[in-house]
Amino acid sequence: MSLLAQLNAPFMYLLCGGIILFVALVCVFFMIRAYRAGKAMGIDTTKMKRVITASATFTLLPSIGILLGVIALSGSLGTPWPWLRLSVIGALHYETQVAEAAAEAVGLQSLSASLMTPTAFSTICLLMSVCIMWGMVFSVFFNKRYLRRLGAGSKSGKPGGGFGDRAMTAMFIGLICAYMGSYIGGFVSGNGLFRCAGSWIPLGVVAVACLSMAGFMWLYEKKNAVWVESFSIAGSMILAMAAAVGLSALA
Amino acid sequence: MYEDKNKLFEQYNRGTHRYGRVACVLTLVMLLSAPFLIGRYLGAMPDLAAFGKGFLAIGLVWLVSCVAEYLVYTPMLGAGGGYLAFITGNLINMKIPCAVNARDIVGVKAGTPENEIISTLSIATSSLVTILVLALGVMLLIPLQPILQSPVLQPAFDNVVPALFGAMAYKYFRRNLDIAVIPFVLMSLLFILVPSLTSSTSFMILPSGGIAILIAWLQYKKKAGAA
Repeated sequence: MSLLAQLNAPFMYLLCGGIILFVALVCVFFMIRAYRAGKAMGIDTTKMKRVITASATFTLLPSIGILLGVIALSGSLGTPWPWLRLSVIGALHYETQVAEAAAEAVGLQSLSASLMTPTAFSTICLLMSVCIMWGMVFSVFFNKRYLRRLGAGSKSGKPGGGFGDRAMTAMFIGLICAYMGSYIGGFVSGNGLFRCAGSWIPLGVVAVACLSMAGFMWLYEKKNAVWVESFSIAGSMILAMAAAVGLSALA
Repeated sequence: MYEDKNKLFEQYNRGTHRYGRVACVLTLVMLLSAPFLIGRYLGAMPDLAAFGKGFLAIGLVWLVSCVAEYLVYTPMLGAGGGYLAFITGNLINMKIPCAVNARDIVGVKAGTPENEIISTLSIATSSLVTILVLALGVMLLIPLQPILQSPVLQPAFDNVVPALFGAMAYKYFRRNLDIAVIPFVLMSLLFILVPSLTSSTSFMILPSGGIAILIAWLQYKKKAGAA
């Protein structure tokens, strides 16, 4: 039996699937608890249902992108391990990078099924797990104290009229600005300083997503199409991703 | 009524930390045991010397990144959302925008009990949908692979993140243009002048977010002073 066949064997699916199932149950448990607590605290159940619908539609497209990450890694690591990594704790941008770097660290020339050895595989698995586990470790030890200190779990429970809410919005704007800046930089200097020879497709996609979102917001605000709000992000993403196909054909 | 709500929330929050910690510890044990179980199955345990070398080469960089992610994102996600997001991953490209969007839709403020509930519901739903999509995708891998990897659709999937942040940018920039302009211009200039930073965009979130928070804080102080 080849190594890749072993990596795709039922044992691997059982092991990885079992861990994923556990995490799914944890999510269901937290979801039910939050819903019940919200109801007991008097939060409108319609609002909570809207959050669930909006979050589900929001997640669909990025999840397909993550599935592509599983497919990309399955050629060298088999399917079950990337499936586990990208369902639990992992991140799309992290897994491919770390898998490559881990392969080099264990002495492989590149991340490839033909070069993979059983020892290299188990070592890569350990490295991929350990390198990204710290968020969980910090959560175990510091979450309660950290949130209490920040006042996020404050006893007053007063609506956050202070700076905290504004700071969170600002942080998120900073996050968006970093990505927008990288697309602009990629286009202007991606293929030589100020040559404007880099890829303009991400910028085109951003523009289409912005315009689509503007259209959805107009429907919501001016035409009172309340239903639009839950699907506006997912809808804008679909239109922008479709535009990416068209723009690539033009490029 | 107000006190009852607080009491309920405190009780809920205590439970969230208790269950969150247990879930994290169990997940960690499973994730760290898996490579050794796989090693046993393959008849080749992980090479700990190579692991140590690899950790020094790549692990330390990610350790720093994890510290930054933890400090920045935990307040955004709250307790329940935080535990779930760090267990299920994909924070920047999915969980954070998803939780922020959910918060925005129902109009709750960070740091309130409502935000805690909404954030947890949002992250749990998002995680379950991802788990479901990946499970279905893995089951249907053979028929789906040619479609998902078709060269025609490739640009669409290569641009999921620009599509996501483009839509979010419109929503957030138009309401907070005063906060967004400076970090946007600075980040654009920085990436233009140092294009190699593109591969470290996730690290650049920190200075960008720091600048945005500083501007927001100055505005907050100004408004507080004027009031």
